[in-house]
Amino acid sequence: MRRDPPVLRIDLASPRPAVEQIASGLRALLVAGDFVPGDQLPTVRQLARDIGVHHNTVAEAYRALAGEEWLDLRRGRGATVLVRRRPRPSARAEQSFGQRLGELVAAAIADGVPPDAVLSQMRELAKKLGCVNRAMRCEPRTRRTR
Amino acid sequence: MMEHAQWLLGGLLLAVALLVAWVCWMLPEWSRPGIYFAVTVEPAFRATLEARRIFRGYRLQAMIHVAISLALLFAGLEPKRWPALIVGELWLVVGPLIAFLIGRERVMPHAAKPSLVREALLAPRAAHLPGGWLLQLGPFAILAGTALYLRWHWEEIPERFPVHWGVDGRPNGWSMRTPAGVYTPLLLGAAIVAGMALLTYGLLRETRLVRAPGSGKAHLDLAHQAAYFLAGIEYFLATILSAVALLPLTRNFGAGVVLIAAILLVLAIFPLAHRLNRARTPYASVSENSPAPVAGDGTLDEHWRLGVLYFNPEDSALFVEKRFGIGYTLNFARGTSWFILLMVLALPVALAFAALWRH
Repeated sequence: MRRDPPVLRIDLASPRPAVEQIASGLRALLVAGDFVPGDQLPTVRQLARDIGVHHNTVAEAYRALAGEEWLDLRRGRGATVLVRRRPRPSARAEQSFGQRLGELVAAAIADGVPPDAVLSQMRELAKKLGCVNRAMRCEPRTRRTR
Repeated sequence: MMEHAQWLLGGLLLAVALLVAWVCWMLPEWSRPGIYFAVTVEPAFRATLEARRIFRGYRLQAMIHVAISLALLFAGLEPKRWPALIVGELWLVVGPLIAFLIGRERVMPHAAKPSLVREALLAPRAAHLPGGWLLQLGPFAILAGTALYLRWHWEEIPERFPVHWGVDGRPNGWSMRTPAGVYTPLLLGAAIVAGMALLTYGLLRETRLVRAPGSGKAHLDLAHQAAYFLAGIEYFLATILSAVALLPLTRNFGAGVVLIAAILLVLAIFPLAHRLNRARTPYASVSENSPAPVAGDGTLDEHWRLGVLYFNPEDSALFVEKRFGIGYTLNFARGTSWFILLMVLALPVALAFAALWRH
């Protein structure tokens, strides 16, 4: 079945640098399984043009994801999604995640988001991650028809 | 007493002035709803009383400027008053521009904060020429066909033939039956058409993707319409230059063919402007979930000099939609834009040099 390509959304008014927003936006889509190994991402220039930023910004975000072994960057071939094995979690990564999650939840509740809504969203996320987790175990996956 | 050639020139100037007047009259309508006189506004602003007042003021001023320039152009038809012709031409460009800048100043207090949310479809995109290569090859086929015809009728071409005429209609420039003398207009035409095809390809490749709400998919409607228009100009130029190249055989300018081509091109502007206008739907999100129109056009007011020149070193787009007028303009913060501008300006210079050389 033909599916619409995923959409990357960034907010240039946000205090977060554009490069960070692009990298984390793409990472979220990769983790969620919106791409399969072998998928081609837009070229650096095309993505930079469409979101109205300098091409170096997109190139830096792509390099960051290539460093995390999500993407294969080859000159003239653009960015290709790689088969990525989940790295062994370090104690420091888990501790850092726990701390950031705690801060994020506190900030959301301080902004008036009801704790029930926070919990419900976390459940949704856990469910989605469970699906992704199962999918990641049975690689290589079949290629999605575009 | 005006002579025949002066009447002809006068008629041509009147037609140009009327076309400019119509374009000036329509210009403020030809922008996305989130843009008014090149200023970012809320999409509902243009329906307000203040917006209509600014619009009427602009139209009145623009028409006064067109009338002044027309008077100057007609005064300049007298040989002794030729400077009026140049002043009239300049007035035709600068006058409406001043009217626009006054309108822009009046809209500025109503400027809205543009949306800074940016979206992109994450799929590689290839630039496809509308009509395919077949449409693009047409002008080359016209030029090549003319070259072959000239080759077959080489012996019928006079050793020396006129290529330039004075206002009185008498030849005052000649060329010889040599490959350079005969084929130069066609080679020049091929170079211009190739340059324009390259420009069309660059436009489709280097333009931001904009989706209209409700269309269901992202598209490049405006760029495609502009590409068709450029193709029309390519066909027109190929016809004109073929008529010029055939002069030694036809002994006249082939006025009929050229006139029909010119009329078709001018007539094509009206439906095309209408289609381009329809394509200028509100700037919207590319995602299906947020199709609401937003203020602006994906660029910031601060990056537009005088509302007409786009200058943003942080934007990778080479071509951006014009804020005032139909079509695209260049991002002048990029070096490639200046190269393109130089190439476009070189076109009339090359034509003038070719004419002088043959003269």
